Amino acid sequence: MMTRAHAKTALCLFVALLLWETAGRSSPAVRTTISSPTLIWLDYWSDADLYVPHLLATLRSAALGFVLGNLVAVAAAILFCRFPAVEGALQGVNVALFAMPPIVIGPILAIFFSDNLPQIFLAALVVYFPTMAATLVGLRDVDPRLLDVIRSYGGGGGAILRFARLRSALPAALAGLRATAPLAVLGAILGEFGSGVRWGLGSFLLGSLGDADPARLLGIGFAATAIAMMGYGVFEWIGRRSVGATMPVTISADRLPDQITAAGRYSWAQRGVLLIAALIMPFLLWWLLLRLSHISPVIAPGPMETLLYLVSGPGSADARSALLGALRHTVPLAALGLVSGIATAFVIAALTVVRPAVARAILPVALLLQSTPLVALVPLVLLLVGRDNTASLVMAVLVVFFPAYVMLSQGFALVPRPARELVEVYGGNRTKELALVSVPYAASYVFAAAKLVAPRALLGVMVSEWLLSGKGLGNLINASRGLLDYDMVWAGTVTSILIAVVAYQVVTLMERLIR
Amino acid sequence: MASEQRGAFEHEPADLSIEDVSKRFGTRGRSIQALSSVTLKIPCGCFVVIVGPSGCGKSTLLRLVAGLEQPDNGGVLVGNERPQIFRARGELGIAFQDPALLPWRTVRRNVALPLEVLGMPLRAHRQRIDELIGLVGLAGYADALPGQLSGGMRQRVAIARALVTNPSVLLLDEPFGALDQILRRSMNRELERIWMASPTTALMVTHSIDEAAFLADLVVVMDVAPGRITDTIAVPFSRPRSSGLFTSPEFHAICDRLAAALELGGPR
Repeated sequence: MMTRAHAKTALCLFVALLLWETAGRSSPAVRTTISSPTLIWLDYWSDADLYVPHLLATLRSAALGFVLGNLVAVAAAILFCRFPAVEGALQGVNVALFAMPPIVIGPILAIFFSDNLPQIFLAALVVYFPTMAATLVGLRDVDPRLLDVIRSYGGGGGAILRFARLRSALPAALAGLRATAPLAVLGAILGEFGSGVRWGLGSFLLGSLGDADPARLLGIGFAATAIAMMGYGVFEWIGRRSVGATMPVTISADRLPDQITAAGRYSWAQRGVLLIAALIMPFLLWWLLLRLSHISPVIAPGPMETLLYLVSGPGSADARSALLGALRHTVPLAALGLVSGIATAFVIAALTVVRPAVARAILPVALLLQSTPLVALVPLVLLLVGRDNTASLVMAVLVVFFPAYVMLSQGFALVPRPARELVEVYGGNRTKELALVSVPYAASYVFAAAKLVAPRALLGVMVSEWLLSGKGLGNLINASRGLLDYDMVWAGTVTSILIAVVAYQVVTLMERLIR
Repeated sequence: MASEQRGAFEHEPADLSIEDVSKRFGTRGRSIQALSSVTLKIPCGCFVVIVGPSGCGKSTLLRLVAGLEQPDNGGVLVGNERPQIFRARGELGIAFQDPALLPWRTVRRNVALPLEVLGMPLRAHRQRIDELIGLVGLAGYADALPGQLSGGMRQRVAIARALVTNPSVLLLDEPFGALDQILRRSMNRELERIWMASPTTALMVTHSIDEAAFLADLVVVMDVAPGRITDTIAVPFSRPRSSGLFTSPEFHAICDRLAAALELGGPR
C-alpha cells in the first residue's frame, strides 16, 4: 500500500539519485570518488558473473547462520525464562557475545572449521544475543494477573509458558528476527574476512580494495546493503501481517544484557555464586571446547596457555609490547568515536524535539541506516576519507550515530507531556523547556545508548584497521593470522573481547553511580 | 435451568474456612503485617463481600483462598481441602479488577482458557461456553477480540471465564473497580443475576460500600495495620434485589452501618 509518506520518501530518493548522477557526470573529481548510479549499474551489468556467485555465497551463509542462531536464541530464551539460574550462570557468556567485536571471532572459527562453516557460525553468533534478549523480555513481560488466573486453575510454569508467555513473546521475537536479519549478513561477511574463503561479498570487497574502482567498491557496498535490507523487510512484513492486529511492533528491539537479568530475585549470597559462575563460565567453555575438539594447542591454546604467552613465556615481552601498542592505537579511537557519535546523536535528537517535522524525516532514514551492515560503509569511507586514522574514526562515528539517534529520539519522545506543558504554562519557550525538562529527562537514555553502541564503536574501528589503515588491534589480529602466529591471534581476540566487556561494565557502573 | 447448565461438572457450593490466618510481607527489617490472625467461616452458597481501606489485606485474603499465597500461620480450607487440591479440579473461579484477557484470543477462546489449563476437552463444553457468553450479555461478540470490546464488556468476559468450570467457589477481587459508578451499578445487578443462575459460594473484595450492601448476604469489614476483621454485618434483603433498592431507606441504613463500621475500625 502506497501512502503519502511512502511517496514522499520515494520522491526524495529519486531526487537524491538524480543529483548524484548529475554531479558524477559533470565533474570527473566527483566521478572518481563516489562514481554515479549509472556507472554502478553498468558494473553490475558487465560483471554479473562475478557479483552473482559472491552475493549468493554470502546470502547462503547469512541465511543458514540466521536460522541456526535464531533457533538457539529462542530455545535459550525459553530455557532462561523457565530456569533463571541458568541465565544467571551464563550471564558472562551472554555479555561476551553481546559485546565482542565479531570480526575477531572469524579467524578463531577458521581454526576449527573449513569452507563456509566459519561464516555460518559467525552469523549465528552475531544473531544470537539480540533475538535471545528480545524474546526473553517478551516471555517475561506478561500481565501478572494473567499468571494468577492460570495458577488459580492449577496451571504451573509449563501451562503459563504454553497459554500466555509463548504467544505474548511473539511480537518481541519477530522484532528480534527483523533486527538480526541484517546482522546475519554482517556476520557472514566478517566471517569471510577471517576464513579467507574464495566466494562471498566480503572476499570480493577485500580483493577489490586495492583497485580502488569507485563503481566496483560502491557496487559491493550496495549489494551487501540490499540483501541486509531485504531480510529486514521480509520480517517487517511478516510482523505487520501476523501480530500487527493485536499488538504494536516496537520500533527498536535492541536489548542490553542488564535488561534481561533477573538478579533482583536472588539473595546476596546467591548473587555472589552466580557472579563467580558468570565470570568463570566463558573461560570454562573455551577450555571445554578445545578439549572436545582435539585441536593441537599450538594453533588453539587454552586460557592458561594464552595467559602464559603474554606473561612469562619466551618472547612474552615482545608480545606484550605489540599488543599494548595496538591497544594504544585502537582504544582511544574507539572511545573518541563513541563519545562524538553519541554527542552528535544527542544534539540532533534534542533539536528534533524543537522541530518535530525534522524528526519525522530523519527517523525512518536512521532506522534504515542502523541496519546497514557496517562493512558496507567501508567503500564509502575509503573513497571519501581515505585509509588513515580519520577513516577509523569516521567508521566509529557512523556506526555509533544511527542506533544512538534512534534510542535517544525514543527517549525524547517519552518525555511526559504534562511535564513539558508545565513549562509552557509558566511562559517558558521551547528552549527553556528543553533545558529544564526534555534534556535532563532524555539524558538518562545516554547511558543505555552508550552501552548499546560501545561494542559497535570498537567493531567499527577494528574493521577499518583490518581493511584500510593497517594499524591497531584489528590489523594485529589480521597480520598475525597471515603469519600463522596463532598465540597472538588468540591473545588479541581475547583482549578485544575483554576490553569490550570491561567498557560495557564501566558504563553500567557509571550509570548506577550517577542515577 | 441451573441444572441444565451444569453439563459435565457437578460441583456443589463448598464451605470456606479461614482459621487464624496470619501473613507477613517483606524481608529483613522492612515488613508489613498484611493479615493478623483472621478467622472467617463462610457457609455454602453464601455471597460474602469484604470491604476495607487500601492495604487492609482483603486482596491477600482472597489470594490465600485461591492458593496464590501461603499463610505464615493458620490454615485455609475450601470444602475441607487445601486450595491447591481443590482448584486443580476446576472448582475455583476467579476474576480480578483487571480483566487480564489474552489479547490474541477471541471472547470464546478466552472464556475457554480455564478448561484448557485443566486439560478438559473443549468440544464437550462448547455449548456451555456459548450459554455463559449469553448469560453475561455478550451473545454476538463470541468471536470478537478483547481489543474490540469496551472496558465493561471485557470485565463481563472475565466473569464468564470465572464461571466456565461451574465453580463451587467464586472469588472476585474488585472486579468492577475500574468501572464508573453508572456502569458499576448495572454490572452489580447483572452479577447478582448470573450468580443466582449458577449458585456458588462467592467471596468478593471491594472498597465500595454501595456494592457491598447491594450484593452481599454477609459483609465482612476489615481494617489496616495490622490487617484484621473488625466487624461482620448481615444484609437481610431478599433476592433478586431490584435497582429500586439503591434508593430505599433500608439500603441506606445498611450503607450507614457499614460506613460507621469502617470509621470505628480505624485508628483515627
